[in-house]
Amino acid sequence: MTPLTSTLTARDAGLALCHDCRKLAPLSLTTADASVCPRCGAKLHFRKPSSLNRTWALVITALILSFPANILPIMKVNFLGGSEASTIMDGIIYFFQDGSYGIGLVILTASILVPCFKIISMILILLSIHYRWRSWMHHKALLFRIVEFIGRWSMLDIFVIALLQVLVNFTNLSSISADAAAPYFAGVVLSTMFAAITFDPRLLWDA
Amino acid sequence: MNSNRSQQNNTEAETVHGSEAKSDLDQVLACPGCDLLLEKRPVHPGERLCCPRCDEILIAPKNNSVNNSLALALTGLILFPYALFMPIMTLDTMGLKNSGTIFDGIISTWHTGYWFVAIILALTSIVFPLIKLLLIFWVSLNLKFKRIPGYLPQLMRLYVHSDEWGMLEVLMIGILVTIIKMHHMANIEYNTGFFCFTALMLTALGSSLALDKFEFWKQIENGRAPE
Repeated sequence: MTPLTSTLTARDAGLALCHDCRKLAPLSLTTADASVCPRCGAKLHFRKPSSLNRTWALVITALILSFPANILPIMKVNFLGGSEASTIMDGIIYFFQDGSYGIGLVILTASILVPCFKIISMILILLSIHYRWRSWMHHKALLFRIVEFIGRWSMLDIFVIALLQVLVNFTNLSSISADAAAPYFAGVVLSTMFAAITFDPRLLWDA
Repeated sequence: MNSNRSQQNNTEAETVHGSEAKSDLDQVLACPGCDLLLEKRPVHPGERLCCPRCDEILIAPKNNSVNNSLALALTGLILFPYALFMPIMTLDTMGLKNSGTIFDGIISTWHTGYWFVAIILALTSIVFPLIKLLLIFWVSLNLKFKRIPGYLPQLMRLYVHSDEWGMLEVLMIGILVTIIKMHHMANIEYNTGFFCFTALMLTALGSSLALDKFEFWKQIENGRAPE
């Protein structure tokens, strides 16, 4: 695989890569609004439309939502009439105190480290485009691919709570249910996933 | 020189779906990660072609992609109802027994009042996984019999977009975490749903991995060309 020249991009050559099927098709700047991919019918653009604005909006949404997601209790345990609400962090501390380090680490990674990592990485990438930082290009491209890949894994805690809710349901003795932070937490996961979808990594190299 | 050539491409492709322009365009490839134009070369199954500038994977052809994804998607579709609507496990504590299905998990989240969470759970654990399996099954079945109906590109696009929203693998880890969480407090008995779900997760993951998007799109395009 050899590049035609070290910097010639498809856009420079008047070619657009279809977002959906990755076909290369000629696209002229004048008719850019109306062109569709000859193979799959998706709209053609040189870059994803208003990518930076949308990604910023979604990253900021995720950042705002992550406060209630972490401060409010995410799970409520009812045991013999009493009830105890716990936040994500409480749940992790409980595992560590219990000696279940492995599982504590899994939850810590999926629920706290991954969302933080996603938000910080996206802000870093967006700032680097904004201020045209031309260093560490390979690493920033890699960083985005990691963000894309890990996106879905932070749903883990929501799945666990839904399962516990059904399985631990012994009417008077004990039961578990989701609590106030759950929708915010799901919102963080969704908005970071959408941020990765609306972001166009080619903008890194254009800057 | 390069820009001259592509300029020529441009005009040719605008006038007719010219075969010359097409064959010329078939010689190049653009990286989806950084838009670098690259010269195409033949790639063998199992090989993986990466962009020299940003390391993004360009093409990773797979052996026997259509047959493998068809077989795995069909298996997944058969397992699907058992995996999601049969009890996964039974917890037994102090003589009290309780079991539940994945579907129950969504319903009970809905009943607790967290409808937003319930909808997301339903989409990521039932709707999208099912849509993905149906799409893989139908598209690869059509490709296997060399039939390319006009709506096939739309279905393939839908698959591309729904790919990351099916989260059976994440749910599998969720089930394992639940087991580890509960095994101190209760006796766990594994039910049909657990085994069917594990098998479903593996086949669904397998069918996505077996599907070579590059090859599928190429076959869709070639099949539609003569019309």
